[in-house]
Amino acid sequence: MTATMTEVATTDDIRDTILDARRDGTALEVRGGGSVLDRMPGDDGAVLSVAGLTGVVDHAAEDLTITVRTGTGIDELQEVLAASGQECPIEPTDAAGSTVGGRIATGLAGPRQLGAGRVRDWVLRVRFVTGAGQVAKAGGVTVKDVTGFDLCRLMTGSWGTLGVITEVTLKLRPLARHRAWYTTTEPRHDLDGVLFRPVSLITTADRTHVLLEGHPEDAAEQAELVGLEPAERPILPTAARAALDPARVPEFLAAIAGAGLRWAVQDGVGVCHLDGAVEGMVTARRAAEHLGGSVLILEPSLGLPAFGGSGPDPIATRVSEVLDPDDVLAPWRWSR
Amino acid sequence: MPLFRRTATRGRQQPAGAIARPWLDGASDLTPRERGLLAAVHGIVGDDGLRAGHLGRATYRRDASFLNADPVGVALPRTVEETAGVLRACRDHGVPFTPRAAGTGLAGGATPTGEEGVRPLVVSVARMDQLRELDVANRRAWVEPGLVNARLGRAAAAHGLRFAPDPASQIAATLGGNVATNAGGIHVLTYGVMSQHVLAVELMDANGDVHVLDGRSPELASLDIRGVSVGGEGTLGIVTGACLRLLPAPPAIGTMLAGFATLRDAAAMVGDLVTSDRLPDAVELMDARAVHLVEGYANAGYPVDAAAVLLLEFEGLPHGVEAGIDTAERLAHANGATSVTRAADADQRARIWKGRKAVAGAIAKQAPDFFLQDVVVPRSRLGDMLDEVVAISEREDLIILTVVHAGDGNLHPFILFDRREDGVLDRVFRAGHDIVMTALRLDGTVTGEHGVGIEKRDFLAHVFTADDLAVQQAVRSAVEPSGLANPDKVLPSTVGCQEARMVPEGAWV
Repeated sequence: MTATMTEVATTDDIRDTILDARRDGTALEVRGGGSVLDRMPGDDGAVLSVAGLTGVVDHAAEDLTITVRTGTGIDELQEVLAASGQECPIEPTDAAGSTVGGRIATGLAGPRQLGAGRVRDWVLRVRFVTGAGQVAKAGGVTVKDVTGFDLCRLMTGSWGTLGVITEVTLKLRPLARHRAWYTTTEPRHDLDGVLFRPVSLITTADRTHVLLEGHPEDAAEQAELVGLEPAERPILPTAARAALDPARVPEFLAAIAGAGLRWAVQDGVGVCHLDGAVEGMVTARRAAEHLGGSVLILEPSLGLPAFGGSGPDPIATRVSEVLDPDDVLAPWRWSR
Repeated sequence: MPLFRRTATRGRQQPAGAIARPWLDGASDLTPRERGLLAAVHGIVGDDGLRAGHLGRATYRRDASFLNADPVGVALPRTVEETAGVLRACRDHGVPFTPRAAGTGLAGGATPTGEEGVRPLVVSVARMDQLRELDVANRRAWVEPGLVNARLGRAAAAHGLRFAPDPASQIAATLGGNVATNAGGIHVLTYGVMSQHVLAVELMDANGDVHVLDGRSPELASLDIRGVSVGGEGTLGIVTGACLRLLPAPPAIGTMLAGFATLRDAAAMVGDLVTSDRLPDAVELMDARAVHLVEGYANAGYPVDAAAVLLLEFEGLPHGVEAGIDTAERLAHANGATSVTRAADADQRARIWKGRKAVAGAIAKQAPDFFLQDVVVPRSRLGDMLDEVVAISEREDLIILTVVHAGDGNLHPFILFDRREDGVLDRVFRAGHDIVMTALRLDGTVTGEHGVGIEKRDFLAHVFTADDLAVQQAVRSAVEPSGLANPDKVLPSTVGCQEARMVPEGAWV
């Protein structure tokens, strides 16, 4: 089947496209920069591209907030903020083509998740168009806000199934004075308990990569404490990522030993990046699901479903039904 | 000198005479449906788990707000199973329920309001107060909803850990309530509010079924319903358990107290701090009235000649903490600080914080009544907002003292009054209303951490469009389809042009 692509430039365009799809009984895949979706198999429906909705709406440096349109590149966001000595630590594993809206929609965090928290923690306000065609917002521009239900958390990681995100307001922080990658000479899964709040700990079969931020003398003392050597930023596997309770990671690694996979674990976080053949991935998915986690396949040539898990629970299903009553927004999401 | 003259405590005398069924306490105003419900609930929780008499109900009419209403009774289950039984009894009798724990909420979220003629059952989880598991290796704790916030803090501290959300009420407020309101506190500026620290929620629906909303895995192949349940204010079900994230205690802490000649200078200092190269972990502002009051009460060493004081804290590794405090001291002088004190040791640090934490206690000792507000403005509007609060206090001839989680732009003006003064309540609520509307005018919002409850409910129409609210209502109904969980809260009953009232119909002051 050939995909049709609708490019939209305004919220009204999005609403009209959704209402048309409701009327016609068709379904849409929402696409930003394509950095994730282009890597996922089974994309054969109509595509609603929001890549044209770009630009900074308001950077309130003194309030530590920024409002951007959904298609704004992560690169552009970081550049604008760095000019003011600020950052929003939402970042992709692999930067090319990543958009702000895409990061929020997928909820996939980069390698600094241990120190910077999850994507959801940086989202203050989301404007979106629901699958029913309602133009709505959740949250507000202040950094603390409990006005109404917390739908920003719901929209983050909803993978385009509840609404099309059009604009987001993000929380910011000062850029760290110093940032450097280090490495150990052998793998160590215990460093989160030894170092004080390291920003990233990535352990592979033969070493642990450590990212330290903050005052340079503090970083030097922390590095000295466990004998870290300066190093380059590690290159992570990209074919799949397992996610599970960090407490279950040792069991997961034991279960995939011998499955022929190259892996890199974000210690203390519970994300494990994977490369390898299909048999290994099947083993990894079975192991992760057995431990209450999941595996997201990002390499289409593997021929495996991207999610392939049990799908949403009854409450999540009811929430989907009210926001997308006619199954317009990627109704296939969790089963493909 | 005291701000108000004190007189004998008001109160009701306990009725005399023998009581056949202690939990009924002679209540005679029950409908057949209510009698049926209470009999069923009594069968589950027993004599000591049910209060349905006048006196038993009276103490559960309100939370720490002024808004109160009469419940049909109060159930105090001891276990998750008993709670499930109580909710099933409510369902079977068509009676709504209002979840509650310590009742420290300030927005009427635990006030048992319901539709005309239908009194809800208060379901208190206060007796489910155990720390189920402290998982030191994985830095997290499984807690029951009635566990007091500070008790978790003490248990964690014994292992070099801490729980970040620290609302001022933490010595009484429970973690179930903290989850329900998405609570904040002093040290949430860099660590984030409650939602960021809730790894899993056990949410009981109106059928008594528990849904484990598990977010221990960082990525879910599903929707983040846990995120919606935090801050649900009891309208999405009852939180019967939670898994909370703990953080390592910081190796170094730097605390500073600075006095300023004007509120504007202090606000400008806050602006400079948040745009400097290291965000403090706490920035608290107190106005002159607050300083005077607590200094006379807690003797914390605050400069009583200052128009405002700032309390700052940096935590972490020693060099970063030192650099942060140095920068803060330089910025304080640049903004005309009249005094700067760096805490030399843990004792001095404790003394500085004692003053901030004593505010509510000091007020309770001085004023018969106070009405505490909670609004947020963008940090750059803090100076404007503080000026407006002063203007409102002068206009209404009321004493208002203000403490601010300044790093977050989150103001807590305390309106002090004596309700026996003729017409004072009108002025108090008008002032409260004006404070909220002023925050909205300055691009702020109506509640930062106390929640919407019923007090702020009608203001939501000023924040959200009809479509925004329709989406919120749709999500609420999807998560909790029965409509029995804490009805009448959070969302305005009629969306649109209704005038926002601090005291909605069905509640009494």
